[in-house]
Amino acid sequence: MNDVKVVRSIKPVYNKNLILSRLGYNKYRTTLSAEVMREIERLVKKTENIMNITAAYRILGITQINPPQIILEDGTILSGLRLSELLKNSRQALIMGATGGAKVTELIARLQEEGKMSEAVVIDAAASEITDSALDFVMAMVDQYLRPKGKLLTKMRFSPGYGDFDILQQKEFYRLLNAQNLGIMINEACLLIPEKSVFAIAGICQERG
Amino acid sequence: MTKKEFVKLFQNRLILLDGGMGTLLQKAGMPGGVCPEKWAAINSELLKDTQRKYIEAGSDIIYAFTFGANPIKLSEYGIADETYAINKTLAEIAREAAGKDALVAGDISSCGSLLYPFGSVMFEETVEGFKKQVKGLLDGGVDLFAVETMMDLQEARAALIAIKESCDLPVMVTMTFEGQRTLMGNDPLSVLVTLQSLGADAVGCNCSSGPAEMVDIIRKMKPYAKVPLIAKPNAGKPRLENGATVYDMDAESFAAYTEELIEAGVNALGGCCGTTPEYIRRVGEIAKGMKPVQVERKLYSLACSNRKTVEIYGYLPFAVIGERLNPTGKKFLKEALLKDDMDVVSDLAREQVEAGAMLLDVNAGVPGIDEKETLKSMVNEVCNSVPVPILIDTSNPEALEAALRIYPGRAVVNSISGESEKLEALLPITKKYGAMFVLLPVDDKGVPETAEGRIEIVKRVYSRAKEMGFSKEDILVDGLVMTIASNPYGALETLKVISWCKKTFKINTIIGLSNVSFGLPAREGINSAFLAMAVANGLTSAILNPNDQQMMQCVKASDALMSRDKSGLSYIEYYSGKSLGQDKTSENKIKPQDTSLKSLYDAIINGDVDAAEDTARQALISGKMPKEIIDKEMIPAIQKVGDLYEQKQYFLPQLIRGAEAMEKAMAVIAPELEKNNEERFESKGTIVIATVKGDVHDIGKNILGMLLRNYGFKVIDLGKDVESRRIIDAAKANNADIIALSALMTTTMNQMPLVMADMKRENLNCHLMVGGAVVDRSFAESFGAYYSNDAYKAIKLADEIIKQKNNGG
Repeated sequence: MNDVKVVRSIKPVYNKNLILSRLGYNKYRTTLSAEVMREIERLVKKTENIMNITAAYRILGITQINPPQIILEDGTILSGLRLSELLKNSRQALIMGATGGAKVTELIARLQEEGKMSEAVVIDAAASEITDSALDFVMAMVDQYLRPKGKLLTKMRFSPGYGDFDILQQKEFYRLLNAQNLGIMINEACLLIPEKSVFAIAGICQERG
Repeated sequence: MTKKEFVKLFQNRLILLDGGMGTLLQKAGMPGGVCPEKWAAINSELLKDTQRKYIEAGSDIIYAFTFGANPIKLSEYGIADETYAINKTLAEIAREAAGKDALVAGDISSCGSLLYPFGSVMFEETVEGFKKQVKGLLDGGVDLFAVETMMDLQEARAALIAIKESCDLPVMVTMTFEGQRTLMGNDPLSVLVTLQSLGADAVGCNCSSGPAEMVDIIRKMKPYAKVPLIAKPNAGKPRLENGATVYDMDAESFAAYTEELIEAGVNALGGCCGTTPEYIRRVGEIAKGMKPVQVERKLYSLACSNRKTVEIYGYLPFAVIGERLNPTGKKFLKEALLKDDMDVVSDLAREQVEAGAMLLDVNAGVPGIDEKETLKSMVNEVCNSVPVPILIDTSNPEALEAALRIYPGRAVVNSISGESEKLEALLPITKKYGAMFVLLPVDDKGVPETAEGRIEIVKRVYSRAKEMGFSKEDILVDGLVMTIASNPYGALETLKVISWCKKTFKINTIIGLSNVSFGLPAREGINSAFLAMAVANGLTSAILNPNDQQMMQCVKASDALMSRDKSGLSYIEYYSGKSLGQDKTSENKIKPQDTSLKSLYDAIINGDVDAAEDTARQALISGKMPKEIIDKEMIPAIQKVGDLYEQKQYFLPQLIRGAEAMEKAMAVIAPELEKNNEERFESKGTIVIATVKGDVHDIGKNILGMLLRNYGFKVIDLGKDVESRRIIDAAKANNADIIALSALMTTTMNQMPLVMADMKRENLNCHLMVGGAVVDRSFAESFGAYYSNDAYKAIKLADEIIKQKNNGG
């Protein structure tokens, strides 16, 4: 399964509490009235409605792990000590990416221009969480396909830019996923545009017979 | 096996299914990386032996090992052309293993690729693929079919349709849920309603995580289930231990859920991943002597999308059906449909659902248009945009069938009349796809003027529908609204039909409302008065414009008055904080707490922007000096908001909302200050803010800018992706005390030390403060910058920096 698979119009299940956490909510101290909660929910729903989430993934064999280097079957070299640790029992890697589309970024910018910063900040947090949840969706879906084959996904995934997994490696993900086909662009600083776009990698372990 | 025999098999007894196969075959020697189905077909004795063990453990039905034997999955191994042969062989092996001791189900599961619109595989391609598998299984001698481990209701439908179009054998369909929804967002009730009406003979869940999670799913389905329910859980959650998959439940702990599942309403039990014949044996032992529970079924009319079910019934809230996706009289929609511009369709769908529509009527009737293709596009667009079920509004059989075939839920056909040709053409299509329908009391002679005439047609059409297997809950009778401008008794006749449906015939009703006032002035008044009368006579649903406030007010009030909205909670919630005529959706109201404001101070603390503006104005009118208002009310209030945020009693939106309220009040006070030649407040200092070169993420910087302004600083905001030169020039020109920079990426944060180097080179009497997702204290300190990880802390830090600077630091 070397081809890039694209999944469109994803409606991922996301955790509203994680959106609140992104906004600094503390479950022991922050008190929110029912009205504030309703408003947050309205904005989260609005975010969900305006986002058009597309994801892509592909599975590549892992040829060699020589920490911090990981060499994939097509010769791609990734680097990261924690990533090497994550993949140590994996024979294959799941390369994935997701984007929430440009509309939500435009909405966030427009709200800021209109002085509706509190709305913008909620929608920004919701959009980040929902985009991230699209990768949970991809992992759950791939896991379901892999299970009958006696394969399991690692529970964790890593994204470029975290720890020693350099952000510059976004370029490798961009190439491996043909991310331009998802409407994603990458700039010189390896920033993804639209802003609510994310890449990640997880490992696939093969059960022993 | 016939469907009747299947029903008989489940009568008053629990059925035991089989358990996991893949893991057992791996233990028996199946290597990793091979096609499991092909390997099992070659190693038939091992497969047969495993299946025999399940029968010995008590399984009434075993599944042929054909889970992944569809052409799309087999193509991954380059053997798609062996689909028929592999399925036939595996069915024959299972048949041999079962003998007369058990039934054999042909097993069909996901094709491994997502269907359109999620993926690129089209619905018909999937149906055709499954049909190839079905043919092999039929020729191999299966007794029935089991569609299992489906994540997408649409794919489950494709498999079910493929089987139904190939044979009359019974079909059990189970889906895999992650929590209380499938991965594609399908909820248990919509899964049940869609599949049982499409013709599944048993429905349920399999795989997922474990039996505990399935109890709730079965419980949700049971009161609405016309068919037996199935639970076939995993042995808990899998994890890898020393290279082998281990499940966290043993046979005993797995079987311990048997009673609970039976009490929840299950009729057939088995196992999935990680379970073995021992698990099934233990379940059988516990279930021995137990019978399935009988639950009184709710006789509601149930329409659903793939994500939501709407229940229509006399004492449930009135069902509002949005009318606006109908191009009749809407030039903009007609033009959009002719251009295949589906953005207009999704906007209209969202707008109506936000306004309170529970279902949407979808009509593609534009002269000269390809109704079939347009209707399909509209149905796809609406499904993607909103979760509510739809009415497919057409009498064109070809367009209707095309739309029903791809609709991933249970739609309502609008409408089927007593006109003999239409009746005979549309009823079978509606039945085939398990849809509900609107019964229009019109026949070949036309529209009866009297209620009696219409009632006769209702009885006649229902009788024909009943012969085809429909029941009353599958039908909504149209009361047939005529305009009172041409027939003064028209409305009364409609009310008589509705009343008869409610009291005598006991069937749910619908009307297309706005026709009643056609040709009259002030139509809204007539429409809402008639709606209230119809609801009082038992009307259960209506097609109307949900954006019409008066109409929605009438619906909500009628529900409360007729006790359909218990304690008026829905009414109160709908109108909570909303005055009539106000657009509920455009309000911005992250008001942290109490809204009954007494002062400007409270308005800012509560983040009530409107109240802040009003109370600021009132304060000026009452004669307070602008400076006094700022010093005694606004500054203490915004400081209090900051304190609450610091104590984490407020979260970020509330902090910002407080600043927004402050800003709004300041806009009222500032002109008065200028008149008095007074400063707003003594500026604490000047800060140049920017996002560094190469970085386009600016929401954090914008939040900081807004807070700094409202906490008394003069802010020069240079925007995002800003060169060092511009930053230095702005700091010089404005005699800035601080430069505050933000960066979100490791690739852009390195611009920060470069700015610091330029500041030193230019000898600026100014400090550098940095922040952003990837920046930390040690990085900041490495080039002599101050650091803050939070916008509010940055304000406090700026305060301190400027105090030190003023003290010669």
